[in-house]
Amino acid sequence: MKSVMYKKKAPLILFLTPALLFLCIYLYYPFVMNIINSFSSITGLGTSSKGFNNPWYSNYLKLFTDPIMRTALKNTLLMTVFTIVFQVGMALFLALLIDNISKGVQFFRTVYFFPIVISATALGLLFNLIFLYDGGMLNQLLMKFGVEEFIDWKDQNHYLFTMSFPVMWQYVGFYFVIILTGLNNISPEIYESSEIDGANMFQRIRYISLPLLHNVLGTCLILSITGALKIFDLPWVMMGAGMPMDKSWLLGTYMYNQTFTMGDVDYGSTISIIIVVLGVVISKTANKLYKEKDY
Amino acid sequence: MKKTIALLLCAVLCLSVFTACQSTTPSNQGESKSPASPVEITVVTSYGGDDGNRANYEEAFKAYEAATGNIVKDGSGTSNEEWKAKIMADFETGAEPDVLFFFAGVDANKLIENNKVVSIETIRSVYPDYASNMKEDILPISPADGKKYTVPVNGYWEGLYVNKKVLADCGVEVPGAGYTWDQFMADCETIKSKGYTPVAASLQEVPHYWFEFTVLNHGTVETHNNLPGSSSDETGKAWAAGLNDIKTMYEKGYFPVNTLTATDAEIFQMMADDKAAFAIDGSWKIGWFQENAKNIDDFTVTYVPGKNDRKATDVIGGLSMGYYITKKAWDDPVKQKAAVDFVTAMTKDDVVSKFGATAVTALKKGAVPPSNADSLMIAAIEMTKGSTGIAPATQDNLNQTARASLFANVKNIVTGSITAEAAIDEALAITE
Repeated sequence: MKSVMYKKKAPLILFLTPALLFLCIYLYYPFVMNIINSFSSITGLGTSSKGFNNPWYSNYLKLFTDPIMRTALKNTLLMTVFTIVFQVGMALFLALLIDNISKGVQFFRTVYFFPIVISATALGLLFNLIFLYDGGMLNQLLMKFGVEEFIDWKDQNHYLFTMSFPVMWQYVGFYFVIILTGLNNISPEIYESSEIDGANMFQRIRYISLPLLHNVLGTCLILSITGALKIFDLPWVMMGAGMPMDKSWLLGTYMYNQTFTMGDVDYGSTISIIIVVLGVVISKTANKLYKEKDY
Repeated sequence: MKKTIALLLCAVLCLSVFTACQSTTPSNQGESKSPASPVEITVVTSYGGDDGNRANYEEAFKAYEAATGNIVKDGSGTSNEEWKAKIMADFETGAEPDVLFFFAGVDANKLIENNKVVSIETIRSVYPDYASNMKEDILPISPADGKKYTVPVNGYWEGLYVNKKVLADCGVEVPGAGYTWDQFMADCETIKSKGYTPVAASLQEVPHYWFEFTVLNHGTVETHNNLPGSSSDETGKAWAAGLNDIKTMYEKGYFPVNTLTATDAEIFQMMADDKAAFAIDGSWKIGWFQENAKNIDDFTVTYVPGKNDRKATDVIGGLSMGYYITKKAWDDPVKQKAAVDFVTAMTKDDVVSKFGATAVTALKKGAVPPSNADSLMIAAIEMTKGSTGIAPATQDNLNQTARASLFANVKNIVTGSITAEAAIDEALAITE
C-alpha cells in the first residue's frame, strides 16, 4: 500500500505546492528583492529605488570601511560564542543534573523554560530596571553591601555583560528542554548495565549520556548559531542605538537602525544579506565539524 | 471523489496564499457598504504612549464617535524616527491610515511628492468650510510644492524647565527674561558643587533641544532656519559653535554621569526626583510634569539662556504637526466625509485649546487657557506671551538620515572622537 502511494508522485507534488507557493511569495521573492535592493539607492522606507548605486557594489565596499559594521560583526560573533558556551553549555549542565534526580523534573522543566514565553520587550524592560543606574535593583543591592558609588551597567566596562546576560538567561531553557528530551530517549537499560559494571555518575555521563546526545547537541549548536546571528529584540530594548558610544551594535540591531532609523534601506539590505551568508557559512562549517552519528 | 476533494483543498490552500493581496479599490468598498451605516476610519497620530495629550485625544475622538456614530480605529504611537519610518512604510505598502497626524515640514515631502495626501485646497472644493477656523497665513506650507495640506492642532514651544526646589537649595535664583549664557554656566557650577546634576539631558538619545538653542545662540531667529552648505560657511560655523558649547557643558560635568548611556526617560526622571535643576523640552512635556511631579509648584518653565545677539526671549516654536487626509480616504466615497468630519471635530476651537493652551496656535480666535491652569501652565503662557521672536526648529530642515547622523554624532563630539565640523559635514553630505 505504502509503495503504491509513494510511486504516485502527483499527490505529493499537489500537496507540497501551497507551502512552496507560500515560501516563494513571502520568503524567496523578498530575499531576491533584498539582494536587488542592496545594489540600489533607496533613501528611506516608503521611497522607491532611485536606480542602482554607482558603482553598483558600493554598499559592499562600505561594509569593509564602516567601523560600526566591524563592531557589529565582532559583537555578533562574540554573542555566537557566548550562546554556544553559556546557553547550550549551561542547558547541558542543568539537563544532566535534572536527569539524575527522580522528583521535581517537571517543575524544573517549567521553571527553566518559562523565560521563553515572556516577550523580549517585557524582559528588556525588566532587565533595564535591574541594571538601572539610579535606583536600579542591582545598584540598590550593592549599596546595601556597602558599595558607595553606583555602577553604570551600560558603560564601556560593563555593557557586554549587561547586554549578553539577559539573552543567555532567556534561551537556556529552550536548549535545556531539547537536551532533556534527548536524555529521556536514552534507554535506561544502558545506565542500569553500566551501574552493574560499577560506573559512577561522571563515567555514565562521559561514556553514555554525552556520546548518545551527540546528534541532539549538534542540532542545538546549529540552532544557537543561527539564533545568535539574528539576536535583535532584547539588545535593542536594552541598549538602543549602540549604547554606549556605538560599542554594543550587533548585526541585527545595526541592520534595523540603518533601515528604520537612518532610512538607509539599501545598506540595511546589504547587512541583512551578510547575516544570511554568515548564518549559512557558519552553520555549514559547524555541521561539518560536528557530523551526525548513527548509534 | 477523493481526487476531487484533494484538488479542491489544494486549490483553496493555494488561493489562501493570496488572501493578503485583496483589492482595496474604493468603488468596491463603496458598493459593499451603505453610506448611512457607521464608517470605520483608521487614524494614526503621535498622541500614543505617554504623550501628555493622550487623554485629551481620546476624549476628543470619543466625542466624534458619539456625535457621528462612526468608529475610529486608533493606531497612534510615540513620535520618533521609528514612528515616522513606520508611517512611511505603511504608505509604501498601501496600508496607510485614512487620517494622519504628522509633521508639516520636510518629513512629509515624500507623502506629498507621491500624491498620498490631499491638499486643503482640494478638500475645500468639496467642503468649503474645512479648516475655516484657522488663520490662513499661519497654516503650514509644504516645502515640497508650496501648498497647504495639514490642519494644525497644537503648536509647540521649547523652553527651559526648572526645578525650583533644587535651585532654592543651591541658592540660585530662578532664571528670567534677561538670563545670559554666562550666568547659566556660573549657576551650573554652583548647582554641581552642591551635589546636584545641573542639566538633565540624555546626549545619547535626545540632544535635539540643546542643539537647537545652542545653535540659535550663535545666530538669530531670522537665520535659524538656514541650512549650512558646509561647516565652514556662516551657518555651519554657528552650528559648530553650538555643538561645541554642548561639548563644554559635558566637559565641565553639567550633564548626568550616565548621559551617554541612559534613555531620555531615565534622565528626565531626575527632574521629578529633585536631583537635577534644568532641562530643555517642549510644550508637550507639561503633561509629564503634571503626572510625575510630587508638587507641580516646584517646577516652572522659562527662557533658555541667551548668548551673542540672541535674546533669551527668542524661542524655538511653531506649528509643526497637523492632520492630513490621505488620498486613499479621499477617493473612498464612504470614508471621505467621515475623514473630513473627523479632522473638523479634532480642530474645533475648544478641542485645540485643550491640546495646547500654552502653545503657538493657528486659531483665528486664539487658544483659551483652561480656568484651572496650574502654575506650570501659567508660567508657560507667560513665557510665550513674552517671547520676542519665534523660530521653527532647524533640525526639521534636515532629512531623516541626515538628522539621525548628526544627533548620533553628538556623543562622539562631546567625547572628542569627532569634531563638530566633521559631524556637520557628514550630515550635510547625506542631505545632498
